[in-house]
Amino acid sequence: MGHMQLKEIKATPYVRAEVKKGYTDQSLHINLDKADIRISPIDTAVKEKFIGGKGYDLWYMWNAVTGDTKWDDPENTICISAGPLGGTPGYPGGGKSIVTAISPLTGAPIDSNVGGYFGPYKKFSGFDVIALSGKADQDTVILIDGIQSEIKIFAASDLPETAYEMSDALTRYFDEEKPVNISVVTAGPGAENTYFGCLNFSWFDAGRKRVRYKQAGRGGIGTVFADKKIKAVVARFGAISMKTNNPADLDALKIVTKTHAKEINTLDPKQNRMALVGTTHLVPIMNDHDCLPTHNFKFGSHPGAAVIGEGVYEHIFDKGFDGCWRGCAVACSHGVKDFTPFTGPFQGKKVFVDGPEYETVAGCGSNLGIFDAHTILEINFYCDAYGMDTISVGTSIGFVMECFENKLITTDHTGGMDISFGNRHSTMELIHQMARGEGFGAIVGKGIRQMKQIFATQYHADAAFMQDIGMESKGLEFSEYITKESLAQQGGYGLALKGPQHDEAWLIFLDMVHNFMPTFENKAEALHWFPMFRTWFGLCGLCKLPWNDIVPEDNKDTEEPAKVVKHIQWYADFFAAITGKKTSADDLISMSEAVYNFQRVFNLKMGYGTREHDTLPYRAMGPVTAEEYESRQERYDTQLTEKYGMDISGMDTNAKVAALRKERESQYEQLKDAVYERRGWNKNGIPTKETVKRLGIDFPEVLEVLEQNGVK
Amino acid sequence: MIQVDEKPVKWYQGMTIADLLEQMEDVRFCSVVRLNGRLVSSPKFADTRIPNDAVIQLLPLVAGG
Repeated sequence: MGHMQLKEIKATPYVRAEVKKGYTDQSLHINLDKADIRISPIDTAVKEKFIGGKGYDLWYMWNAVTGDTKWDDPENTICISAGPLGGTPGYPGGGKSIVTAISPLTGAPIDSNVGGYFGPYKKFSGFDVIALSGKADQDTVILIDGIQSEIKIFAASDLPETAYEMSDALTRYFDEEKPVNISVVTAGPGAENTYFGCLNFSWFDAGRKRVRYKQAGRGGIGTVFADKKIKAVVARFGAISMKTNNPADLDALKIVTKTHAKEINTLDPKQNRMALVGTTHLVPIMNDHDCLPTHNFKFGSHPGAAVIGEGVYEHIFDKGFDGCWRGCAVACSHGVKDFTPFTGPFQGKKVFVDGPEYETVAGCGSNLGIFDAHTILEINFYCDAYGMDTISVGTSIGFVMECFENKLITTDHTGGMDISFGNRHSTMELIHQMARGEGFGAIVGKGIRQMKQIFATQYHADAAFMQDIGMESKGLEFSEYITKESLAQQGGYGLALKGPQHDEAWLIFLDMVHNFMPTFENKAEALHWFPMFRTWFGLCGLCKLPWNDIVPEDNKDTEEPAKVVKHIQWYADFFAAITGKKTSADDLISMSEAVYNFQRVFNLKMGYGTREHDTLPYRAMGPVTAEEYESRQERYDTQLTEKYGMDISGMDTNAKVAALRKERESQYEQLKDAVYERRGWNKNGIPTKETVKRLGIDFPEVLEVLEQNGVK
Repeated sequence: MIQVDEKPVKWYQGMTIADLLEQMEDVRFCSVVRLNGRLVSSPKFADTRIPNDAVIQLLPLVAGG
């Protein structure tokens, strides 16, 4: 490879919009077809209704695509927005970007919430949201330079292949003297060759003098990015302070920022210790509660989990400040320095691994039967460097391993590889193949939904069994929690708008451990309130961890401890301090509810968004096989006899599996009914006209979609 | 004597985490504790004996990813 070449093909100077109360009120549209750069004002009505972040992204996407748009059509638009509160230094979790596109995996809107400095830098450069459409005819790099007030499009050649190297090269290329001024969004070769490509969002770690990354992982937005021949989008901006958002009330902002940060600094060391261990504390906790995916979600615990949790990573994470946003007190973005991969293009070289987080440990460790912290680090490293989502990679390979062990696929299909659980060499080889788009890895890289079809039609594998064990819903691979004993979390996954990701609702402990929501109505209320509140973080450019992963010491004395109401009030104060709008805790829910329902209608517009698409593989609900049932026989037998009043004395295991399945599937359908009713949707899971009217999203085009789907 | 959330609590031979929580108020959401720095989850509360002079922190909620 020669030296990186960037040939400028378009340069557009602009007058940088002043940030006022968290907003620039400007959007940036770049169409790659014609290297067209357009800056437009954002209507006040859009601002009032969609708030920012994911709300803006969805609105601009809605207007860019038709119901027939496929993920690889030029009009598919990647939107990135930070939200009005994003970019507040020192506020815990105050620097997130929200990215959306039509997903290659689901065909519907996907959203991903990611750290790194890009979103704030982009906003302070003058744009609340950027929309990337069209397709370039050559590899392209885009620069949004908020210091020079210029947008440039470059034809790129001889770029480094991996995101790991590319972000570093571009950071130094665009600001050698002050690399901290640069944030780069990149994908990688794996994003080009799989359907679950991720985006790496960088920041320059001034302490370690290296580029660091967080990933917008879910749903294949990196694949869309690569399909548009975008190699990187770079934002450049200079000094940032609490004044940069030009808040309505700087003093109030300082107070609420200091208050929340102080609490985290005081309590995190006593609670989850995320500043030391990230989210790896969840590994032993989930394992002990039988919720850690093991062997393709078959089981929820394994003795080997002891060597892949916080007890190990605490000692190998590099010491130092690890905030993915400036001054974040949670500072959970840990990494490992001087790691030496044993495979692939970086074999034998020392690299820095950003991670792992809980999801990667569970998905690419226990779920694959790999109880080896080193191999998990290597998978983490290559997935990031190649631009592939560790959750989809782990969940997909877990599915392949179970298919292999059940002889649904054989070495004839895998190119001779033994892909049994625990085989770390085959796992690494599969990941390298995925990134190259070669061999059996090319098929795995299409995701579980397509694999099921390929295995059934080409390899004559048992389609019904694969439907039960293939951990995807809506086409998206599950994130890493076992939900068999929590009906509420089955809803948290199955009823999530984009597919089974836990960022809408994580109710396992409230439901399964504390029995806090015994009735369908209780569960439905939780599946209304939690998704609405958690959506709000995505509207405003925030991380949810500071809300309920570190909680006030007097939280248990409040009326609703699960909501952490003290923090919700702080968020309302935060919103008011920046925007100048008097804001109550209830207002936060109202903001989200409009956008949430709009996204459901968006799904409908794209041909989804109805009851039939809110389905789950049975493994998310209960034991598929006799082996699973017998592994927790006492639990299941007790339920059949005591909860369902059955006489099981004459039943063999298969009969008991079937009996339990009938009950659990029925419960899930009842849950759907209760949730739809609570959300103001009809029996088919579609928002009613009254609901969209109440929320103020009864635009003509929304009503048209509803009417096309039989809503009168 | 043991320390629970920085407060002294009388210890006795054979005391388990389940025993400790039984005698405390407002612990309905406690599903995980740190016992001398090590995480112990609710399925193991009844079987986990507390040594004398232990330092225990009650983790208030498990909120997931």
